[in-house]
This record gives sequence, structure tokens and C-alpha cells, in this order.
Amino acid sequence: MKKLMWLTLAITLTLLLVVGCGSQAPKETPEKKSGEEAAPPEQKEPIKLGAIFDITGATGDVGAPYADGAKNYIAYLNSQGGINGRKIELIDIDYAYKIPQAIEAYNKLVKQHKVVAILGWGTGDTEALVEKIRQDKIPYISGSYSENLLEIETHPYNFLVAPSYSDQIRFVLQWIKDNWTDTSRNPKVAFIYNDTGFGRSPIEDGREFAQKIGVDLVDEEIVDLKALDATSQLLNMKKTEPDFAILQETSNATATVLKDAKKLGLTTQFIGLNWAADEKVVELAGNAAEGYIGVIPFAFPYEDLPAIQEIKNWVESNGGNWAEKNQKFIQGWVSAAVMAEGMKRAGDDITGEGIQKGLESIKNFDLGGLASPVSFSAESHRGALKARLYQVKDGKFVPLTDWMSLPER
Amino acid sequence: MRNPFVMNCGVFTTSYRQDMAFHFTPLAHLRVMIIVALLFLFPFMVNEYVVSVANLVGIAVIGALGLNILTGFTGQISIGHGAFLGVGAYTSAILTTKLGLSFWIALPLAGIVTALVGSIFGIPSLRLKGLYLAIATLAAQVIIEFTIIHWTSLTNGTRGMILPAPQLAGYSLDSDRSYYFLILVLALLATVFAFNLFRTRPGRAFVAIRDRDIAAEVIGIDLFKYKIMAFALSSFYAGIAGSLWAHYLTIISPEHFTISVSIEYLAMIIIGGLGSVMGSIYGALFMTLLPVLLRTLAEALSSIFPDIESVFLGLREAVFGATIILFLIFEPEGIAKIWKNIKDYFHLWPFSY
Repeated sequence: MKKLMWLTLAITLTLLLVVGCGSQAPKETPEKKSGEEAAPPEQKEPIKLGAIFDITGATGDVGAPYADGAKNYIAYLNSQGGINGRKIELIDIDYAYKIPQAIEAYNKLVKQHKVVAILGWGTGDTEALVEKIRQDKIPYISGSYSENLLEIETHPYNFLVAPSYSDQIRFVLQWIKDNWTDTSRNPKVAFIYNDTGFGRSPIEDGREFAQKIGVDLVDEEIVDLKALDATSQLLNMKKTEPDFAILQETSNATATVLKDAKKLGLTTQFIGLNWAADEKVVELAGNAAEGYIGVIPFAFPYEDLPAIQEIKNWVESNGGNWAEKNQKFIQGWVSAAVMAEGMKRAGDDITGEGIQKGLESIKNFDLGGLASPVSFSAESHRGALKARLYQVKDGKFVPLTDWMSLPER
Repeated sequence: MRNPFVMNCGVFTTSYRQDMAFHFTPLAHLRVMIIVALLFLFPFMVNEYVVSVANLVGIAVIGALGLNILTGFTGQISIGHGAFLGVGAYTSAILTTKLGLSFWIALPLAGIVTALVGSIFGIPSLRLKGLYLAIATLAAQVIIEFTIIHWTSLTNGTRGMILPAPQLAGYSLDSDRSYYFLILVLALLATVFAFNLFRTRPGRAFVAIRDRDIAAEVIGIDLFKYKIMAFALSSFYAGIAGSLWAHYLTIISPEHFTISVSIEYLAMIIIGGLGSVMGSIYGALFMTLLPVLLRTLAEALSSIFPDIESVFLGLREAVFGATIILFLIFEPEGIAKIWKNIKDYFHLWPFSY
């Protein structure tokens, strides 16, 4: 009984402490807010930028380096004097890839912190938030490249910095067609994807495009994101003898497919869209990843580019370990850089609408090879118009093609 | 009237009416009134963000009450509650967007449709118990999720559906504050109904089935009828919660109703207290607020220890798991029991023997 009392006492005290902290926060905000309103713009208040990252959730393996990249860019930008003389205050929240927590985080950022724009993450949560994003006029750049987010009438504040999944699958299909030498028959292709919004996103467009350009889609297989075995699907696929298989998965499932394909002796050439192609695939699949091709919209940290050198110098001069950074770090860096460019172009009009106009005025924004040049307009938020393919050779992704224009839809 | 401020030192009822009363003392009655009044004033005392968190809590309360009726009071484990929320949400979405019905008709219909679906999946409960039933309801989760994803002509598949915010007399309930009152009223109704349910014949039958189903049948309780009724009621609650969730977000997709949602609801009623109406509320509060509180704590401490934030974030999942284990070991009856112990302690103090 005594033990129980101590336990209850401890819990009550913790709760009181936590509640105490919790009730402080709302009190702070109105003061800050009133200060902000009273202060003339010359006082150089920091610009508040929100971020909803996945650091500890299901996609934390790629989400954590992405968040790291974005944070590093903001720190780098602030060290260069910020935007138009104003520093950027990045308020980031880890939502653990759970939609209710993403909504809660979004509300906190918009209603409590009054951020002017947000860097987001997943397909499920970005799509869950589009209505609120539109109502609150919050420019939103997320890690999801779903074609759905490009419908400009309904999603006027969502921007995509990389080719959409549909664009990527069309790009791969076009490349297959262009490089097909056997004139006796069309190339045969299979799709491998997962049963989520993310996985199914490009499939419909892929089917249509394959038919349009004369690539035979012979099979579609569903492999779960967390699958540790894909043998039955691959055996199924083997019967139809596809020349190519296009993967829309994340690193883990991709590695599973590549390993099982090697085990079964498949000769199919596997090609992954951007989340299915990074250092982690090579690490997990090892030898089985040899020859694997991926759509790579962002540069690898080991590439020899002046922009990479600049980031490397910044990271190392701030005590970071460059060897630990991967491609997703660059991706986070680029997303934040594009958002910052939009803010810069918004000038003194740092509001949702101002930044939207700023982003829409970006034309061929040169990222020094870190990603395809980004362009937006009031009609289209399809940021990237080019893509390229990399192939794994000796355990490393090396360029297979240069930046090439995306095919006509 | 008795002086409301004197402590009571025992309950002495002299009529059945008094015996069945909710509040034995005027003070308790007053306290409930004050709490309800505070709940109605709450959105005017805090900023909009806090209101939005309260909305998430309110929806979770309704869902957790439903699951507690089934699992806590009737002893039928369900791992399909997340999917039942989805049935409610999608029913509401289809009725309002495809058939153009008003939200006020779609909401009860969502509850009824979910109750029907729930009772179908409840049929195996006559033969199956415990783990076996858990797997059967897991099948419900998988089947419903599969249906939502693949019946694209009706549900739009993985792309999700966009639906309107409810209208009340020409006024759109699309702000957090206005929606708060809708959720609050429904959550209060749900709570009062649940409290009263266990004072009625079906409610007592549920508890009898949980305690020993064979004995319950021997004394004349129709097991099949009452088990299905428990599933229907529980799913009705889930349907209402799902409909509220859908119209709050105004966009839904299958990713909102995965198995992890089902497990989160199970965790809510375990932590809050199985077989306790108030427990469902405490559990919903706890599970929704824990991530918020941990983050607030991390933010508060980060001014003293700059690196603590990343450590705290990593700890969160561990804290979730550890909390459930600690509850199972030290207080299987959950927060509701802890709260009762605290109250008893002060009731009896200083003569705690």
C-alpha cells in the first residue's frame, strides 16, 4: 500500500510539473505576438519557419538525415546573414510518421508559433493537411512527390522540388523505350509497389504511359513496405519474364526484392524510383544491388561538385562528420534552400501569400548540381523538369545518364 | 438542503432512487456541474492550438469509450477498432459527398452503418474467446482496410476523400473552436450514455458475460444477443468518432485507420482502466497528451541542456512501451484506479485504517 502511495505521488508530481510547463507555453505566445505586431519591420524579427519531420517513426531511417540536412541549411543561411537581413527561426517537430500527431504538430506551428511556411515530410500526412494548408495559406514543401499534390486549384500552396513519382515512372519507361534495341518485340515491364498512398501514387499514370509509348506492362506485384520476403511475388513475376521491373518502395523493401531476385536467379533489370534508391539499399542488399538502377533527383555526398564541397566545408567547420551524411541529407538541404529562395523573393511581404508568389517567381533556380534546376509558376508547382539515372557499380551509385528532360505527359 | 461543504462519512441510502443515484452528495453534484461548465468555457480561456489538441482528445474519448464497452465491460477483445473508425469516417464521407446528405444525417447514419459492420464481425465471438477472438477481429481490420483501399470507385482508394465541414444554421463549423463544442456535446452524451448503460439490464448482462460467460448463460442471458449487442454498440461509438474525425480533418485516406490506431486505442483503455467509463476518458487524455507533454518537457529542458531534445525524442517510443508495462505490473486497473486510491486516501485521512 505504501509503495502504491509513493507511485501515485510520483506520478502526480510529474504531471503537475509537466502541466506547469505546458501552461507556460500558451502564456508566452500572446506576449511575443503582441511584441511582433508592435515592432516595425526594421527591428529584424526572425522569420518563423515550421518543420514537421519524421525522426523516430517508421520512415526515420530516411527522415532523420533529411531533417538534419534541412536544419543544417537553415543554420548555414543564418551564418550568412539570413534572408533580407532577417534570421530564420526553424521550429521543428518530430511527428513519428503518425497522422494525428502531424495534425497536432501542424496546429501548433500555425496557431501557436504563427509560422509563415512549413517543410513537411510524408505522403499520408501532407495529403491529410492539404485542406488546412489551403485555408491557412501556408506554403508547404514536403518529402512526398505525389502527383496528387500538383493539382493547383485544390493545392495552391504545395510545392514539389523533385519530379513527381508519376514523372519519375514516365521517365524510366521512356528511357527503357529509347534504349530498347530489339525490334522484334516491345520491352516487357513489371511494376512492384506497396499498398499505400505513396506506393500506388504513380501506378495509374505509369500504366497509361506504358501503353502510350509501346512498352508492355506484363505484371504488377504488391510488396509490403516492411516485407522481409518477396519470393512468392518474384516467382509470380518470373513467369511473365519481364525485361525490367520498376520499384516504388523505400530502401528496406527494395533491398529485400533485390536479395530475393538474386537468390532466384532472375535476369530482370530492376529500376527504383527515388525512395527506392540510396546508399541504404546498397548497404542492405550488398552484392545483390550490383547493376541496380535508380532515379536519383538529388546528389550523393561523395560526388565531386563545388556545391557539395561548400556544404562539406560548412558541416566540418561546425563539428559535423561528413562521412555520416547521405543523399537524404542533401535532399533536406535542397528543400530548405528552395523554401529560403522563395522567402528571399517575397521581399518584405513575408506572409503565406507573399512566399507563394516568391516561390512561383523562381525560374531555373540553379542548385549547383545538387538537384535539377527548380522552376515554379502560378500555373504549375512541378518544380523539377529533369531527372537522371544512376547505376550501382562496385557498391556505389555512379551516373548512368546525365540530367534529361522529363517526357511529355 | 444539506450543507454542501461538509464531508460525508458514509453512504446511507433509504430508497432505491437514492441507491441508484449518480452523485451521493450535493458536493459531488456541484463538482460535476462545475467541471461541465469549465469544459464549455475552456476554449475561451486558452489559445487555438490548445483547443485543437482538446479536439483530438475528445474524438479519442468517444472511440475509447466504445472500445471499453466491448473489451473492458464485455470482455471481447477487439483489434479492429481502427478499421471501425474508418468505416464510420468513410460512410460519413460517402454520404455527404456522393449523396449530398447533410452532416447531421450522415453522423448518426455513420454510427448505424458501423454498428452493422461491427455486429457482422462480432458473430464469431459466440464461439471464439480471448486470443482467438483477437485474431478474428484482426481479420476485420485487414478486410476493412483492404476494402477501403481497393473499392476505388466508392472510396477513391489510397488517394483519400475530401469532404465538407459541418454546417449549422448557415454557419460552417470549420474552426477549431466551433468544432470543439460539437465534439464536447457528443463526448458528454457518449459518457452519460455509457454511465447509464451499466445501470440497465443489457449493461449488467455485458458485465456478467465478461465475468463468466457460462454462468451468465445459466442464469438466462442470451449470450449471442448480448455479445452482438456489445459489438454493435462499440462500433456505433467508433462510427461516430470516425465521422467526427473525418469532418474535422475534411480529408481522409486509408492511412488514418491502420492497425496502429487499433493498438493505440487498446493502449488507451489499458492505461485508463479496463471496465471503467472514466478510465476511457483518462486513457484518451493520457495517450493523446503524452507526446505533446514529452515534447513540451524536452523543449523546456533544452534551454538548460541543449542536447536533451534529441535524446528525449528517441525516448518517446520507449516511454510509451514502458508506461504500458508499468501499468500492467503496478496498476492493471489503470489511471481510474489510481485516481480512486488517491480519493479514498483523502476521504479516510487521517484515519486510514
